[in-house]
Amino acid sequence: MSSFDVDVAIVGSGPSGIAAATALSKAGFKNIVVYEREANIGGIPRHTHHPSFGLLVFKRPMSGPKFIAALVRRCPDVRFETGTSITALRPGGVLELADASGLRTIRARHIILATGARETPRHGRLVPGLRPQGVITTGALQQYIYTAQLRPFEHPVIVGTELVSFSALWTLRHAGIKPVAMIETGPRISAYRPATLLAKAMGVPIHYNTEITEISGIETLTQITALTGGNKTATIPCDGLIFSGCFTGENTIAAASHLGLNAINRIPLVDQNWVTSDPCISAIGNAIHPADMGDQCYLEGAKAGAYVARLLAGNISLDKTFAEIRHGDGIKMTTPSILRSDNLGEPHFDLSFHVTAPFRGTMCISQGEQVLNEKSINCLPMRRITLRNNRFATGYPIDVSLIAEN
Amino acid sequence: MPEARWDVIVIGGGVVGCAVTRRFALAGAKTLLLERGRDILSGASKANSAILHTGFDAPPGSLEVACMQAGYQEYLDIHARLNLPILKTAALVVAWTEEQLAQLDGIVSKAHKNGVDDARQISRKDLLSRETGLSTTALGAVEVPREYVIDPWSAPLAYLKQAVRAGADYRFNTEVTSGTFDGEYWQLDSGQDRFSGRIVINCTGTNGDNIEQICRKPGFEIRPRKGQFLVYDKSASALISSIILPVPTATTKGVVLTRTIFGNLLLGPTAEEQQDRNVATVEREMLDGLIATGTEMLPGLADHSVTATYAGLRPATQFKDYQISAEPGKNWIGVNGIRSTGLTAALGIAAHVERLCGETYSDLANFGPAPAPEWPDMPVLAEHEKRAYQQGDGTEIVCHCERVTRGEIEAALDDGDVPARNLGGLRRRTRVMMGRCNGFYCSARVAELTQGKISPPLAGHEKDQS
Repeated sequence: MSSFDVDVAIVGSGPSGIAAATALSKAGFKNIVVYEREANIGGIPRHTHHPSFGLLVFKRPMSGPKFIAALVRRCPDVRFETGTSITALRPGGVLELADASGLRTIRARHIILATGARETPRHGRLVPGLRPQGVITTGALQQYIYTAQLRPFEHPVIVGTELVSFSALWTLRHAGIKPVAMIETGPRISAYRPATLLAKAMGVPIHYNTEITEISGIETLTQITALTGGNKTATIPCDGLIFSGCFTGENTIAAASHLGLNAINRIPLVDQNWVTSDPCISAIGNAIHPADMGDQCYLEGAKAGAYVARLLAGNISLDKTFAEIRHGDGIKMTTPSILRSDNLGEPHFDLSFHVTAPFRGTMCISQGEQVLNEKSINCLPMRRITLRNNRFATGYPIDVSLIAEN
Repeated sequence: MPEARWDVIVIGGGVVGCAVTRRFALAGAKTLLLERGRDILSGASKANSAILHTGFDAPPGSLEVACMQAGYQEYLDIHARLNLPILKTAALVVAWTEEQLAQLDGIVSKAHKNGVDDARQISRKDLLSRETGLSTTALGAVEVPREYVIDPWSAPLAYLKQAVRAGADYRFNTEVTSGTFDGEYWQLDSGQDRFSGRIVINCTGTNGDNIEQICRKPGFEIRPRKGQFLVYDKSASALISSIILPVPTATTKGVVLTRTIFGNLLLGPTAEEQQDRNVATVEREMLDGLIATGTEMLPGLADHSVTATYAGLRPATQFKDYQISAEPGKNWIGVNGIRSTGLTAALGIAAHVERLCGETYSDLANFGPAPAPEWPDMPVLAEHEKRAYQQGDGTEIVCHCERVTRGEIEAALDDGDVPARNLGGLRRRTRVMMGRCNGFYCSARVAELTQGKISPPLAGHEKDQS
């Protein structure tokens, strides 16, 4: 149909966006564009230079830039348009784009949102004190060190102990910057315990049960004040503060559009094939489940892209209605968040989720009176848990709940 | 070499100092602005609620209401020529208790006394149909149609830029520490430099009483009042259409909910007396308290995230009204106690000060010929107007949250009148790094673009590896 400018417009060139483009390209679609607002493609991996990518996709550890380069080699026919921001998303596959020459609109048969995630910075966390320079996030740190080759500080403190917090540590090590400390509000690190070895090797103490009560410094950061165990206050002189982790989906455009959103986190609702409430828009990757590993996003993007290829080929007819997946306390989010039936046989779905606090017990997926799946699990926050191949009946809400072990 | 001499030296580059500098420069006075910070708006003026007030609830007959209303009118007259934005929101003073509801009549009659004739009470039903996001516990409101939202940083910058084009000078990083008057000229001393001027105008805000000591014993005492604010994500701004004001108490206007000109939603301020005149911290309990209050008024706020938190100091005194006076025989005008209404009143204060100067020092106030005013064209930062990225200025977007282009950043750094020389100044001129990600995406790029141009720098160079 000539009224469409492109077959598929993919927004974001991180692992999930590249994967979707690759799958569509392999399925024979020629007119696919990946829009990237930055000057270079790759998303977060482009500035993550340590080998935390590639294990699932290439069976070997790779740095972020090498991982992206290897992924791009798999899709030589895909067109990337960098320096191009999405400014609005409208019904009917319409995207408003901005680049150096201003605004334009294009119309796509299908749009795939792969806009990624970012860390929650200082202000979003309501951290008290003044507003000096030197307070940043891991993502910014990596761009300072690897992209701009600039040193934002010499003696920083890292806030958080997620995997990405150790990525910050690794980045600092590369630059020869020795952090003063890591700070964790809980009693243990959020990443897998062996990560502490890196901190130990660098001689960086980890303060547990600790929160920042004041950021000091008029122009540049001079110190932070921290409260440990609810009663012990200490000042830590430092010239940098890195807020790491607490990822949030970069869903600004989707949240301002016509798409159905999860009321709590304003993430677009997606069904088991990553199709949103609008059947000509999909959403994939860390924007909808902040944040999983780059490899996981790639594998997901490939499946979502393949499904879109079948949708566009006319092999699939989607039900007009969908059922909600509701979840109880202790669960941060589920993917998918809605279920929609199609004509491809008995409906089933894989359910991925994150818990909000360490949990040991039973996880249960039910639909009305019927238990669809039940599994005992032992998990920590920020880890993706997946229960595969759950069958369901069309049209009724699904409940996901956690039953703690006594 | 004969030292430079000025007709008028303005101390303090807040919104009032910038407006006063403009007024005298346009009147033909050779004018110098001295500011201790690295940029204008380094003190009280950098943090406020950015509302252009009608003065409906100011004390009738006060100097404050006179300056506010003159300032309001002049802003309306000149904003288009300076390309300064206005968001015509109107304000609603909302009653949440029966007691407050009973006060609305008084608010309307005070507004009418102040000449704000279009203020009127509206019913609960009208209020809730206009503001559908508001909690249904609201009982009624006073509507003040001509309360507007403006850009609190571009306006004073435009005043100073216009002054500079009319021949005014300015010095940043210059803190006046002492001064002497020889009967004809003031010598102001910053420790490093001396500045000679016939007339001194003290616009130092939270430092007003200390600077006043250079000339005379101040008849007031600055009692800084801190206000903490929360800026919500742009996604929240659709929750309200008008400025939501509470029924005021004796000391404060109370917690306000307003859209900002930049498309965000602002919640605040608190009102806390404090001793420190320079430092304003945000505190967790106060922010939590604001969020609780805001969410009670506007339940939908709970679904939106916070983009920024900040605190500002208002230069309040023990008096309600402004403390503006000229010292006879000493060529000194103190402009003090400009509490929370300075943004609205600044242009009116400037006109008042010029008049006061002419009356008190009639022999001195014949300045050179008034220059033909130039009207600097301020960059478009307002969310409701066509921004640079929408026009396509040939450069890429650097800050994705606020959609600031490289061209806008370079223009602010290389501005011929008053370039940005620190990060705060660059942020206020462009919006860069002001968004929800707090620089996650753009700060390293901004560090590159500002290298050698701002102080303190965002980063040093990579250590020499050799």
